[in-house]
Amino acid sequence: MSGAMSRAGQGGADDPGLARARTRLAWTRTALSFAAIGGVILRHDLAAGFVVLGLSALVWGVGRLAGVPGRAGDRRGRLLVIALAVTAVAAVALALALFGPQTAGLRL
Amino acid sequence: MGNVPRTPAGKETPTDASGPANPAPPGPPVPPAADAPGVEPDARFTFANERTFLAWIRTALALVAAGLAIVQLLPPFHGIRWGRHAIGIPLILLGAVIAVFSYIEWDANQRALRRGDPPRHSRLPRLLAVIVGLVALAAAVLALISG
Repeated sequence: MSGAMSRAGQGGADDPGLARARTRLAWTRTALSFAAIGGVILRHDLAAGFVVLGLSALVWGVGRLAGVPGRAGDRRGRLLVIALAVTAVAAVALALALFGPQTAGLRL
Repeated sequence: MGNVPRTPAGKETPTDASGPANPAPPGPPVPPAADAPGVEPDARFTFANERTFLAWIRTALALVAAGLAIVQLLPPFHGIRWGRHAIGIPLILLGAVIAVFSYIEWDANQRALRRGDPPRHSRLPRLLAVIVGLVALAAAVLALISG
């Protein structure tokens, strides 16, 4: 491996081990997961689906703040919002499962 | 991770190390913040803890999606009206539980990092394995009963 490639893999002085970049990618994957489940819910309930899709935008926005230096309390608040958002999505999914229209399922 | 390298809050030590397995040399200790006692750990440990939290969050979302898909998309079991709900709803509930506990574990691990203690043992993998195993067993029984 050349010296330049080695330095790129290690992220340089401002991002050693590319920890910040990897964390931002993890946030992006999480936002995509929200968007995917928002699409699933959209098929059954338009309003709830759009709310979950909005949450995916929120997660993406919070992820942009990852790596920005700040107080520990700021990070705690951001992650608490994400945990509560997933709990809310689970509550919506539970309501749809219990009270939503009963379907015949997919016939393959 | 008993000896966690410390760096000033928000700053990362210039190093050739590639991750927490090769921690940076210890920096000067930082006074404890008002909202979080202890010393700010190396930023790479903080990021690693955050990525673990995010991985659990994605697991929770996958469980919720799987539970909803089972209830809405799976063909009903013959003669068992509640069959799809018996499989799908535990997965949705497990997703909610994992979301809450992943935050609690992230917070506990972050506090441990700040104190220089080892991270606490996670109970989530065992919980996930047991519940998913039981749900799979229930699905197999329902499939056999319904013929």
